Parts: sequence; C-alpha cells; structure tokens
Amino acid sequence: MEEVGKMVELISLILFFFGLYMIVSLSLNLEFGYGGIPNFGKALSVLTGAIIVGGILNRLLIWYFGVSGDFISASSIACYKLTEIIIQNPLVGLGVFLITIAMAMIAGAIVGALSILPSAKLREDYLGVTLLAISEVVFFITYYDVRIIGGYYGISAPDILAFIPGEYKIYAYTVLAIVTGLIIYLFLERLLNSPYGRVLRGHRENEDLIKAFGRDIMKLRIKTVALGSALAAIAGVIYVFYSSNVTGNAFTRVEWTFYPFLILLLGGKGNNKGVVLGAFLFVLIRILIEFYKFDIKELLHLPFEAVWIQYIFFGVLALLVLCYRPEGLLKEKPIYTPPIKSKLQN
Amino acid sequence: MIQGIIIYYFGDAMVLLETKNLSKSFDGLKALDNVNINVEKSKLTLIMGPNGSGKSTLINAVSGFLKVDSGKVLFEDKDITNKEPNEIYDYGIVRTFQNPEPLKSMTVLENILISERHIGEGVINALFHSKWIKKEEEMVEKAFKILEFLKLDHRWDHTSKSLSGGQMKLLEIGRALMTNPKLIIMDEPIAGVAPGLAHDIFSHVIELKNKGLSFLIVEHRLDIVLKYVDNLYVMFNGSVIAHGEGSREIERVLNDPKVIEVYIGD
Ligand SMILES: Nc1ncnc2c1ncn2[C@@H]1O[C@H](COP(=O)(O)OP(=O)(O)OP(=O)(O)O)[C@@H](O)[C@H]1O
Ligand SMILES: [Mg+2]
Repeated sequence: MEEVGKMVELISLILFFFGLYMIVSLSLNLEFGYGGIPNFGKALSVLTGAIIVGGILNRLLIWYFGVSGDFISASSIACYKLTEIIIQNPLVGLGVFLITIAMAMIAGAIVGALSILPSAKLREDYLGVTLLAISEVVFFITYYDVRIIGGYYGISAPDILAFIPGEYKIYAYTVLAIVTGLIIYLFLERLLNSPYGRVLRGHRENEDLIKAFGRDIMKLRIKTVALGSALAAIAGVIYVFYSSNVTGNAFTRVEWTFYPFLILLLGGKGNNKGVVLGAFLFVLIRILIEFYKFDIKELLHLPFEAVWIQYIFFGVLALLVLCYRPEGLLKEKPIYTPPIKSKLQN
Repeated sequence: MIQGIIIYYFGDAMVLLETKNLSKSFDGLKALDNVNINVEKSKLTLIMGPNGSGKSTLINAVSGFLKVDSGKVLFEDKDITNKEPNEIYDYGIVRTFQNPEPLKSMTVLENILISERHIGEGVINALFHSKWIKKEEEMVEKAFKILEFLKLDHRWDHTSKSLSGGQMKLLEIGRALMTNPKLIIMDEPIAGVAPGLAHDIFSHVIELKNKGLSFLIVEHRLDIVLKYVDNLYVMFNGSVIAHGEGSREIERVLNDPKVIEVYIGD
C-alpha cells in the first residue's frame, strides 16, 4: 500500500514539474523557436514571478495585516494570517492567485522588454551572453540580499490552496500547473498560427529581409520577449506557492535557462507539440534519475558522485540530439493559416 | 492622364527619387563618389557598370542598408538619407537583393506572403482570426497568381531552400511584385533566369510601369533588358560616367568610348 502511495506521489511530482517546464519551454519556444531570439535570460523571468510572490505579495500582506518586525518574520506571520482566511474562504485563495499572476505577468513583461533592449546594438551570440549575464547578476543579488525575497534564508509564501486537505494538496498543485500549461499551449497555438507567427519565423531566418519589407524588428523583439517573459513568470509564481517558500537559489540558470533550451532541442524547436513532448520526457527522465541515482551509480559502478549523473546524461543527450536529430523529435511545420489550409486541400 | 499630357508637352518628367552627391567609402575605398542620379516616375531606370563599380552599394545606400558618409537621398522631395530600411519601405520603396535572401526553412508561399505587412502581425490581432482572415485570403490569392506567373506555383508548399539558384531569384522578384510600392529597386533580378522567363518578367514590369510604378534596376544582361529601358546610367569606380535618356541617347551612351573602355578594361 505504501509502495502505491509513493508511486502516485512520484507521478504527481513528475506531472507538476511537467506543467512548469511546459510553461517555461513554450515561452522560450515563442522567443527562440519561432523568433530566433536567444533568450539566455529565461531564468530571470521565472525569478521575476518568484520575486512578485516573495517580495511584493508578502509586503502587501504585511501592510494589509499591519504586522511589524523584520521582513522575514513579518512575512511568515502575514502569510499565516492569509492562510487562515483561505481555509475559511477558498475564493480568497483563488483571488490572491489570479492577482499575483497578473502582477507577475506585468512585471515579467517589463523585465523582458528591458532586457532585450541591448539587442538593438548586439549580434545574436553577444546578445545571448549579455542576457545570461543580466540574469546571473539578478540571481546573485536576490540570493545575497536578504531584503528582496529573504536571500539565502528564504521566505514563506501564503498557501493559496489552504482549503484543500494536506494530503491532496500536491495533487491540486499538479492540476493547477498542468491546466495552466495547457491553457498557455492553446493560447500560443492560436497566437502563432497567424501572420504574427510567420513574421516571427521570418525574423529568425533573416532579419535583413524582414527590415527591407517594413518591419520594425526592435518592436517585434520587444513585444515577443515581453510576452515570453510574462508567461514564464507564471511558472515562477506557481512554483513558489507550491513550495510554500522561496529561496533565492532555486532559480538557477541550469534549471530554468539551460534545461528549457534542452527541451526545445529535444522536442523540436518551432513546434509547440514537440516542446510539450520534450518537456514531458525531460521531466520524466530527470525525476527518475533523481530518485534512482544511487541505484544507477551502484549498478553501473560509476566512478563519480551520483549527483553528476543527471548533468552528464543531459549533456550527452544534447550532443546526441544535435548530431543525429537536429530538428528534434517533432519537426517544425509550416504555418497554415485557414486560407492556406484550403489551398492544401485542393 | 492629364499629368501624362503635361509631361509629354513639357518633356519634363516628375522626379521620384534623387541622389545628391552621394558618397560612401569602405576603409579608404570610394565605393560611391558623388553619385547623382534621378529616377523618374513611371520610368525604368537602369544602372550598368562592371563588377565592383558600386551599383549594389548605391542600392544599399538608397534603401537604408548602408549609412552614407555624405550627400542626400530624396524621395518625392523628402529627405530619406540614412533612414532605417523599414522606414524607407513606409515611403513606398521596395528592394530585392542581388544574392537571394530566402527564408530557408519557410515555404515558397510564406516567402512571398512575408513581403506585405499584415494586420494579423499584432500580438492581440493575431488571436482574433476575424481581424485578419480577409486580408490573408486576398494575399494568398495574389501570391498564387504571382507564383503561377513565375512558374513556381507547383512548389508553393516546399521549403525555399529546396529551390534552385534561379528560382530563388524569382522568389526575390515575387516578393517585390506582392507589395504595392511606388518604386521597386531590383539588384540583378534576372541573373540565372532563363531568357524566355526573363522577357516575361520584363513585360510584366512594363505593364506595372504603365500603371504608374517606377523601377530602378541593376542588371548585367543588356541583351535582354535594354529594349525596356527609359533611362540609363553607367557607373565605374563609384562614379556615374555616363547618362542617357530615351533610345537615341542610350544608343549614344553605349557607343561612348569611355563606356566601352571600362568594359574592355574589365
Ligand atoms: N560592406 C562592404 N565592405 C567593404 N567593401 C565593400 C562592401 N560592400 C561593397 N564593397 C566594395 O565596394 C565596391 C563596390 O561594390 P558593389 O557591390 O557596390 O559593386 P557592384 O557594382 O554591385 O558589383 P557587382 O556587379 O559585382 O555586383 C567593391 O570594391 C566592393 O568590394
Ligand atoms: Mg552588385
């Protein structure tokens, strides 16, 4: 019986992270898969969502409940007070969730738009490095400056699903993450099967041509990265609510920048379905490795620490995909708007 | 109509595009040296000259792809010097590239469709099909007509990287034909295109010209284009060395010893 319970928990964990990685990778697919914009600052937009919960929502709660004391302990008191209310009134939980999502999307959009401005002057590769650097700087500041979201101490977050009994909560968060991911998938499919998707791909293939035909490529990049960052920030918010606390070091470039790129590579960049598939396979493999890493080490007599298995595996996987299946599992398809589709049937 | 009569009587065509002492150097190499040309409305202006004489540089400067060192570009008497390419498109100027610039992994049809700006490119608009579907239908119809004309229609759903070099050049022309500009600038449009189709293309150009469109064209294949030309400039080493308007003048320019010499020297 306990075995079964463990199994269900494991599946739920896989599905929860599948939801989160689906959100972040799809947003990267918008920017990089379609638009060719190498957003190596992806982790920054996820972190932005986390900061909105830990840094902004908590401060609003402290102010609302009139709690005094230092930020970290006042936060846990304020979060506790809100949690008490949500137990009585689930709608408050839902409302707080939606408001936080809205704030995170706005903040994500602003951060995204600002971070892409250097692209006016930089070539693609330098742009990628610059975005990575910006993202890293913000990461270290939030980690070492305890005033933003508690830094290395971490900070509590309110439990927006407090009305759900403890043992089911992880499943509820799983549903929340998956449903949000699916909504974003449907949204992006609709958004990108359009002239907008076409011009984004055009930008990826040849900026000069797009310029020659009247497009302001800076505007195109700004709106695209603003949208992509707004979407990725949602994942940050859900992650923090789920963990019921935030620490600055949860939002590393490996987790939230490199892995989403790996998912695009694996699933097929420019293909949203492929990216969803890639996200699922990635999370599945990753969590299984995480669970069984000591068994794997023993079985294969690996001469290194078990924690490295994951990194080595994904590094090798990335190389194999690049060499043998550079288009990923699902190949990109042309954009068939309804009038083009009807030509296809003729 | 009336305008046409007036022009006929006074023999003074309307200037659409004008460069004034346009100069551009690349590390000391004068690629453009005080270039003055006029492109008149509803005329086909041809620029010829040996390799490296600055023809493409002139096009790049006019279309905003290169910033010039000095001089001016005027379009309908408005100063468009060193504006961004997308702004220049907004004035009604469209260009093609000497080296084809296909959107490689996109289809031939998409490559043509991309040339017209579209209301459905806005992030919000894109979500509401009703906003852009009509425009898209019109564009797809027009694009198919152009592809048929260029004999590329059977390949509309193939990626453009699968096209031959000549077909890629046709794609460049197709993009220009898709838009409704005032001036079309083409850099060696028929290089590598079969003579029959090349003549068809120029007949189409003449049709558009008669409807009021103007053309600035760089081309080496004089055997094909010469009979369509209204206005000829010859460039060499970054300078205009000869200019003639009308068939008799053009004949004179082509027999000009200066012109013959630069071609022999080539
Ligand atoms: N971006 C650049 N950087 C440096 N030099 C350049 C650049 N573009 C052109 N040039 C030089 O400027 C001169 C004129 O080149 P341009 O391409 O305008 O010639 P062209 O008349 O178009 O020749 P072709 O008939 O071969 O196309 C050449 O000497 C060329 O090497
Ligand atoms: Mg040239």
